[in-house]
Amino acid sequence: MLATSSDTRVPFRERFSRAVPLLVLTPSLIASFFYVFVFAFWTLYISLSNSSLLPTYGFVGLKNYVKLWANKRWWIAFDNLLLFSAFYVVLAMVVGLLLAILIDQRVRGESVWRSIFLYPLAVSFIVTGTVWGWLYSPTSGFQFLINSMGWTSFKFAPTTDRHYAIYAIVATGIWQSSGFAMALFLAGLRSVDGDIIKAAQIDGASRFRTYRRVILPSIRPIFLAVAVVLLQFAIKTFDLAVSLTNSGPGIATTFPATYVYDLMFQRGEIGVGAAAAMMMLAALAIVLIPYAFYVAWRRRMESGHG
Amino acid sequence: MADRAMPTHDLEAASAARRHLAAHAVIYAILLLFALVYIIPLLVVILNSFRDVQEISRNGLIAFPRTFRLDAWPDAWSTFCIGGKCEGMQRYFWNSVRMVIPATIISTAIGAINGYIISKWRFPGSETLFTCMLLGVFMPGQIALLPWAFLLGKIGLANSVYGLILVHCIQGISFTTLFCRNYYVSIPDDLIKAARIDGAGFWRIFYKIILPLSPPILIVTVIWQFTGIWNEYLFGVVLNSGSQQPITAALVALSTNGTNVRVYDVMSAAVLIGALPPLLVYFFGGKYFVRGLTQGAIK
Amino acid sequence: MKLSKAALAATVAFGLSTAAATAEPKVLMLHQWATGSDAASIAKLGEMFTAAGGLWEQTAIAGHTANTLAKLRADVVAGNAPSAVQLKGPEIADWNSTGMTANMDELAAAEGWDKVVAPELLPVMKPGGQWVAAPMNIHRINWIWGNKAAMNAVGVTELPVTWADFNAACEKAIAGGKICLAHMSADWTDATTFENVVYGMDVDLFRKAFVDGDVEAMRSDGMVKAFDQMRLMVSKYMDPAIAGRDYDTASNMMANGDALFFIMGDWQIGVLKAVGHNPGDDILCGPAPSDTGKPGFILNSDSVVFFKQTDPDFIDGQKLLAHLILSPEFQTVFNITKGSIPARMDVDLSTGFNACQQKSQADLKASIEAGTLVRSMAHNMTVLQKYRGAMMDVITQFVNTPEMSAKDAANSMADTVEAQQ
Repeated sequence: MLATSSDTRVPFRERFSRAVPLLVLTPSLIASFFYVFVFAFWTLYISLSNSSLLPTYGFVGLKNYVKLWANKRWWIAFDNLLLFSAFYVVLAMVVGLLLAILIDQRVRGESVWRSIFLYPLAVSFIVTGTVWGWLYSPTSGFQFLINSMGWTSFKFAPTTDRHYAIYAIVATGIWQSSGFAMALFLAGLRSVDGDIIKAAQIDGASRFRTYRRVILPSIRPIFLAVAVVLLQFAIKTFDLAVSLTNSGPGIATTFPATYVYDLMFQRGEIGVGAAAAMMMLAALAIVLIPYAFYVAWRRRMESGHG
Repeated sequence: MADRAMPTHDLEAASAARRHLAAHAVIYAILLLFALVYIIPLLVVILNSFRDVQEISRNGLIAFPRTFRLDAWPDAWSTFCIGGKCEGMQRYFWNSVRMVIPATIISTAIGAINGYIISKWRFPGSETLFTCMLLGVFMPGQIALLPWAFLLGKIGLANSVYGLILVHCIQGISFTTLFCRNYYVSIPDDLIKAARIDGAGFWRIFYKIILPLSPPILIVTVIWQFTGIWNEYLFGVVLNSGSQQPITAALVALSTNGTNVRVYDVMSAAVLIGALPPLLVYFFGGKYFVRGLTQGAIK
Repeated sequence: MKLSKAALAATVAFGLSTAAATAEPKVLMLHQWATGSDAASIAKLGEMFTAAGGLWEQTAIAGHTANTLAKLRADVVAGNAPSAVQLKGPEIADWNSTGMTANMDELAAAEGWDKVVAPELLPVMKPGGQWVAAPMNIHRINWIWGNKAAMNAVGVTELPVTWADFNAACEKAIAGGKICLAHMSADWTDATTFENVVYGMDVDLFRKAFVDGDVEAMRSDGMVKAFDQMRLMVSKYMDPAIAGRDYDTASNMMANGDALFFIMGDWQIGVLKAVGHNPGDDILCGPAPSDTGKPGFILNSDSVVFFKQTDPDFIDGQKLLAHLILSPEFQTVFNITKGSIPARMDVDLSTGFNACQQKSQADLKASIEAGTLVRSMAHNMTVLQKYRGAMMDVITQFVNTPEMSAKDAANSMADTVEAQQ
């Protein structure tokens, strides 16, 4: 049957109303596009340029990258990033999951527990670093307290030891962020279908078994989401490292973000700083791109079944 | 027969009850232990803000207060010298308020609308666009600093609170859109379809259907944005000047005194003043935070 | 009569108002002295500026210098360079080469700056031959501070003159149960102590390695010997908890007598005065140990750089500010509180300045005559930041890594600096 001309002509109103969502979305899209891609591309170009004190645009190829990797401090920073990210993400998730499971056991005063574990998120990293710096201080913090109570040989000053300072930063980071992991896991645990749990209990599974075999697998997407959010905190670590140890002792707790800042602004080496920043973005991409593929694959699987 | 069965049943019930009690005791003990580690920093800061600074130097930072003074608070708020002016933190506090509230409201509103569009008005390529927007979450601040300075300079908003609001809004769009979109996905599409059949347009559906269902996720988003923008240091300090600096600038001034004597009591009071708004937001909004997340903020 | 009086009054009023309307010098000063006595000193500058009829505005950025420099770059990139910025050393030349600095030669000639400012500072303030910066003070880096009571308690009667004397005094201190050298480990304090060691052992080595940035000088035996002395000091004469300590704790260790000595620049005077001590009296001040036998002086200077402005009010403000900074009144008032000495050599220090500051000025003149005056590397007066940063990384790593040998440190320093070239 031939379509009549009146059928094929879509009324303007209809077309406009279909276009409205896209129109409304466009400003945000342009802004985000600019913010993400243009800035990243600008940083890429600067990393290949001869910028020193101010951004300049003479092309010098990979010279800045060579300079960067010849720097011992950059290696230390990069190692610290890998170490910190691994420990911080995994341990924050473990602690968060543990707390969520414990609270999920129908304990009394849940809102109190929840507030106690969540409040560190409200505090800025600068304040966290400063206050924990006080606690870690051997002359006036925790070690001093224990020493003055009589145990004079007690030693607890991780931030003054160049081998353990990074772990102090990890611990403080976990203190700050595990509440977030806990909140997400708690939300996930709460949303598990009650019937599945009952079915497992009727089958005689112990508490532990139920968790391991039934509940945790069903909240697998949450693990991934928590990991991704924690990871971006880890990679952007700056305020915490600066306020807790200031890259010390010596240069032992330098982080890429702090080194980028130092290179760009203190040392007037914007080109090398941009190269370091590109390395940070590369590290992020290595994690994010597989995640994006995984999410897309999962979505395709779900829509395939749906 | 029945008599002989009951005592064993009681015994089993009793031992089961005992095991249950023991398990709960363990749970509470572990929770208590963690809670202590979490709450001690806050307690230390609160106590130190009421102690005399000489006493703090003598007895350490973690100790039972032996003195009690209220002076640190008014000192931190209105008389402490920061940057040559001796007016305390109050100006910086209000600067932050002036910046954070509009930025939070605007970025949340945009996030809600964007999330609505991406989840309910799907068009070819919307998912890809969403993923691109999402990448903004991962941008480190140091990279964006100079480009932002350049852009703000070009549009004439350098060194002004409006410029800073713009920056925080755009940087926040990624997160707020993510939260809202994941939440709205769980609103049944049939509701929307029914409304469209009834003739409702884009905005109508938003106001009548989406918005009334949104409070949990809006609260999550507001909490997240408020906290993030309030506690942000780098952009607040560099893209602002003089007396318009936010409260994080005052906090850094107090905590890195270089060669000067530490005034722990004023620092503690200042830290509490600085952390109070986000803490209050978390305190009152905490339960909505979990509820909003339960209803699917992150997928 | 009345009419002409009224006419006169009107003319005067009109004249005054137009004069006021055309000359409202403004300044926006960017600096990093946000807290404590430093901020109070800058506040004095603000008071003088306002009293002279100007509109004073400042942005004080706390935390690291990097924060202030980040703000400066953001402003420059946005197109509003601040009219006055606290910058020092080689950065002045760096910024000058961008062409954005303002030329103050006219004012300098009118006020005769070339004649009164210390000669070592002239090339720093006049990169490329034109005045672009105004120096506020001269800090002396090579001071050693000694607690008289603690010294007497262990049998050390006077401040050590050579490094051998210093080591001997430290042995006595350890025998007497006291810490010899108070110290807190940060990149700048480690570098300050180390450059004092190098300068004290060999002025030429200091010049070649730290002023000229010569890589071979860094690899030389002299540098290895300096690192050896540093290792001796860190491992034996300082206490083990130097990392993570803050500045005033270290300073108090010396001030209270727990430690004998403190090697630090003259801002220590301000710090000591703030806690009730009188430098020169119960706390002795002397030149840091030196094996050269000649008077020595390591110089550091805070200065204000002026950036080109288009607004005539800002231009007037810059001239007014520069004039005030180099005025004897400001130089006196500012430096009394800060502990440094004026950048002008012709200011009389006999009233208000303490004995150590007077000694500092005398030593400065003596050092100029003896040809031993140098600028400080640790305080950013010699090499570019990229080299200085690399050197300080190695020094502070050396201090915090007991296994690092002196030879490794010297080579590492040379390698890292070479890699930046």
